[in-house]
Amino acid sequence: MISEHSTNIAFRTKRGEEKRQWSRLVHICRTMATLEGQKVPQSSSASDGISPPQRIHRGPTDILQALAATVGPDPTAAHYKYHDDPYLIPLSNFRKRSYALSAEAGRKAAAWVRDEHADLFSMREWDPPGKKKTPYLNADPHIDAFAPKPIYNDESKVTEEDFKYTLNNALVEDAIKVFELLGGVNALSEELKMEFLQLLCFYNEKEPLAMEWLEERWFAAKTRDRHSATWRLGGLADSIFTSMEPKSSEAYCAIIQGMAKYYQAERAHLLAQEAMEKGIPLSTSVFNSLISCVGFLKEGTTLRIEALKTLLAQMKEQGLSPDQGTLSSCLKSISAWGGGNMLQQVALQVVAEFKSIGLQPGLSAYYYLLCLFCKERGPRVDILTTILNDLEKRENLVPQDATDTNFFITAMGVCSDHLQDISLAERLHKLLMKGDNYRLVGDAYKESIYYRHYITVSCRHAPFEKTLELLDTLIPNVYVPEPSVMEEIIKRLEAGGAGERLAQAWSQLVVFGHANRVRLVERLLDAFCNCYQYQDDEIKAKIRLAAGDILKFGQMAEEKEEKNEMRSPVQKLSATAMTNIIELCSDVTDKADEGWEKVSQALDRLRSQQAAGVPARPQVLAQVAQRAATVGRPTIAAAAVGYLSECGFEEATSASVATLSVMLNRSEEEVKTLLQDRSNLSALHPTALAVAEAYHEVKSGASLHQSDSSTSSESDSESSDDDC
Amino acid sequence: MSVFIKYNKPGSIGNIFNVQVLWRFNSTTAETMRKEEDEEFRVLDIMKKRDRQQKRTARKINIQPDRADRMPTDQNWGNVWPGPKTFHPSSVPLPIRQGYVPKGQAPPGKKANAELMKIPNFLHLTPPAIKTQCEAIKKYCTEWPKLLNSEDAIEKHYPVEVITSDYCHASPTIRNPLARIVNLRVKLSTLNLDKHAKDKFLRLVGDCYDEKTDFVTFVSDRCPMRKQNLDYVNYLLTACYHESWNVEDWEKEKCEDDMEYYIWDNNASKKSLVNWHLRCNNQEINLTDDEYKNYDISGISNASGYKEAVSSLMNDGENEDTVKNYGSAVRKLLGLPERKLTQC
Repeated sequence: MISEHSTNIAFRTKRGEEKRQWSRLVHICRTMATLEGQKVPQSSSASDGISPPQRIHRGPTDILQALAATVGPDPTAAHYKYHDDPYLIPLSNFRKRSYALSAEAGRKAAAWVRDEHADLFSMREWDPPGKKKTPYLNADPHIDAFAPKPIYNDESKVTEEDFKYTLNNALVEDAIKVFELLGGVNALSEELKMEFLQLLCFYNEKEPLAMEWLEERWFAAKTRDRHSATWRLGGLADSIFTSMEPKSSEAYCAIIQGMAKYYQAERAHLLAQEAMEKGIPLSTSVFNSLISCVGFLKEGTTLRIEALKTLLAQMKEQGLSPDQGTLSSCLKSISAWGGGNMLQQVALQVVAEFKSIGLQPGLSAYYYLLCLFCKERGPRVDILTTILNDLEKRENLVPQDATDTNFFITAMGVCSDHLQDISLAERLHKLLMKGDNYRLVGDAYKESIYYRHYITVSCRHAPFEKTLELLDTLIPNVYVPEPSVMEEIIKRLEAGGAGERLAQAWSQLVVFGHANRVRLVERLLDAFCNCYQYQDDEIKAKIRLAAGDILKFGQMAEEKEEKNEMRSPVQKLSATAMTNIIELCSDVTDKADEGWEKVSQALDRLRSQQAAGVPARPQVLAQVAQRAATVGRPTIAAAAVGYLSECGFEEATSASVATLSVMLNRSEEEVKTLLQDRSNLSALHPTALAVAEAYHEVKSGASLHQSDSSTSSESDSESSDDDC
Repeated sequence: MSVFIKYNKPGSIGNIFNVQVLWRFNSTTAETMRKEEDEEFRVLDIMKKRDRQQKRTARKINIQPDRADRMPTDQNWGNVWPGPKTFHPSSVPLPIRQGYVPKGQAPPGKKANAELMKIPNFLHLTPPAIKTQCEAIKKYCTEWPKLLNSEDAIEKHYPVEVITSDYCHASPTIRNPLARIVNLRVKLSTLNLDKHAKDKFLRLVGDCYDEKTDFVTFVSDRCPMRKQNLDYVNYLLTACYHESWNVEDWEKEKCEDDMEYYIWDNNASKKSLVNWHLRCNNQEINLTDDEYKNYDISGISNASGYKEAVSSLMNDGENEDTVKNYGSAVRKLLGLPERKLTQC
């Protein structure tokens, strides 16, 4: 009997299987079960040292967020959206943009395939072939964002459910399509019509860029909002609004806000008047949007201020209390009306009024205040310190408005151009880096402007070491400097005398894609020359290398141009820049040094008129000629002197004498007397002869034709006398 | 599919060693010999096409130096390598080498080394990183109950263990059917059972009891959800426990054949011992069964040893020890001399 009983309960325990499972065990929960395993002891009981304490509540992602907060920025790494590989880390703005957008394009293509061939992704994996497939998504739990999106066209059979789906997902174009397919206005319930109207008004019947495409949104350089009426007059929204009978308060709110958002100010105000006359209540946000476009109704500051005050009074009549949005739209209107003392006073009054009812200005309010007070050519007004004092006190900055993202870039611009205050800029940057505030930086365009201002102000006003530190952390992974900022940086490095960093700056120019900008390269060469004297030998060598590289880069660019690989014509370095290169490269005592090759190349370019203008400092070439002669490169010396004489510089005379004296190992007096007699010259070495000819050329102001012939003879002699 | 493995017994480490052996077999051996036979098949090139092709030079790609070179020595490594990822030589500033090579050669360096990419690395789990992460999630942890300070205390207060498995997939679904299986185990000694109840309990659970570890284990995979299986194993434990305390009428009919183990007092062996003892003392033999059962054998010299020897022989089965014990007990009982060692 007993054995029978035990089989009734039927424990299926297969020893072997069980053992295998044991080894796979993942975690062991000792349940809080009592002996019977039925009751869990209530944790509410006082801590008896045995039962577990009350569970600390946490959301599903709280632990992940806590872990993520332990990871700080890594200045050596690129943004995590790029591959961490030297071949694939983008170093210029162009590459950053194209790499990120390429990745996104891939994602978009995948999404397209998913949507077009949705049937391929909705089957059970284990359905045998031939069997009728059961529509079923393998994904579990089902994630809407990953599921194929329905495609609506003229043939689709749609129901109200589809319409609701499009409305809930803000698919404006699809919603319009489904609306048409459903049969227009008459086929819809009032409720759906209302929702549809709201959607249309919010987006002005234009499809917004989906939230899914982060990179596209990040790199979409939105130009400043144009304050022009873009509202579609007589569009779908209008027709739906007219079809609604009776018109509810919600409908009025939706259409007025839509019109006000897209600057159809007059009609918005007319409708608002109409609603108020009919006794239809309007919401606070309607008044906010009306306030933000009140300036379009009137001309002249006083009238506009009057209109603004009337609106606020009307708001009071309706029994509505203002919120933060009201404050920022008041300031938005005021700041849009220009500057001037009166408007500034009004703005301050408004802020004070709102503060008295306990409404602190948000980031967008501060942004408008900065716009109003810190005009480019206006007097210097330091309201930023007060603003920062206030913001630093707040625990975290909560984004409330799309214009919030304008605050940091504008404030940094004020630090850099208006106040020129590095300590304020540093405070502001610290605020941006605090907590989650970095998301307020906006998009790629704003971010780069922000850093442009920050680095500029830092280059101009910060101590040198601090600037270097900043440059190291930001460049190139966070920010790639634009040419104007690069020039600031070069200036700062030059002033700080950091030769090694200047030499690096050249490779940075190449990497950032600025190496074709002649102005910048010339500026860099100037900086090289100015700093060169007091550098260590090692750094001097580096600078020489960089200078030589600049020359080589120019040649390569020209070669490319010849092969038609370049789209825009290559600008050529000026003669002054060439002289700088020559000066730098010639500072070697070794005859066999590579620098001399560079010097001769640069001289060739100068002589073949491949450099714009004439050198600003011809005496440099004279020195180089002498040095070349001393070292034992007479060809170069001759070329330098020849060029000087061709250009007709006075220095050519003294230079040729000095060079000849070195070449012939005579005193300058002897050389001069020697030069008087032209018949003696034929006995000279060809290079010396060239120098002598140059001397005479300058003396006699020889014609262009002769100079041409002299160049040809020069090139002949060069080939034969390299080893002298 | 990856499975998080965590088990409270240290024995599972053995697996890891096995895996390492596997890796070594998989690893590519360094190329020791390279046959250099550059003799190409010559092609008659009439149009001189090859020359034209050769002119096309490969585009120069300027690669930036490894970012490992730029890393300061006092950087926070957790920021550089925050999560698990495949080894990458340009971001790891360590001169690592790995690979199987013949004796006397150095293993290949970190660049272009597939061996380093194959193995899972723990660069994201450096001690400082673990420390900061622990600090970060500490705010969600509650204090450990003070009296549960040892394994024994835990076993005493929480005798029931429930064991389940979670699986982590890279696939559209996060479900795994194996996750529904629930093991519940409890030590038999922690259950409050008397002799009868214990006997009945063991008969009820059958194979679920492991004598060696004293664990009673219930495994359930019959329901589709873990919650249901958990409920079911809890029900099983409860039902078995309470059922084992019930005494049914028919249980009185249990006879010697139904006994789960040998009780010497109830058996013929005691009867014969008592009879033998009485006969030796020339006493009369007319005892009832109950009197036989309750007869006090302490009066008989060496009887307790004999009882134990017989019980163990019957309960533990015949083996060299029990038989030997039995033999010596009988010798003692009968007063025979000890078996001599030479005889065996």
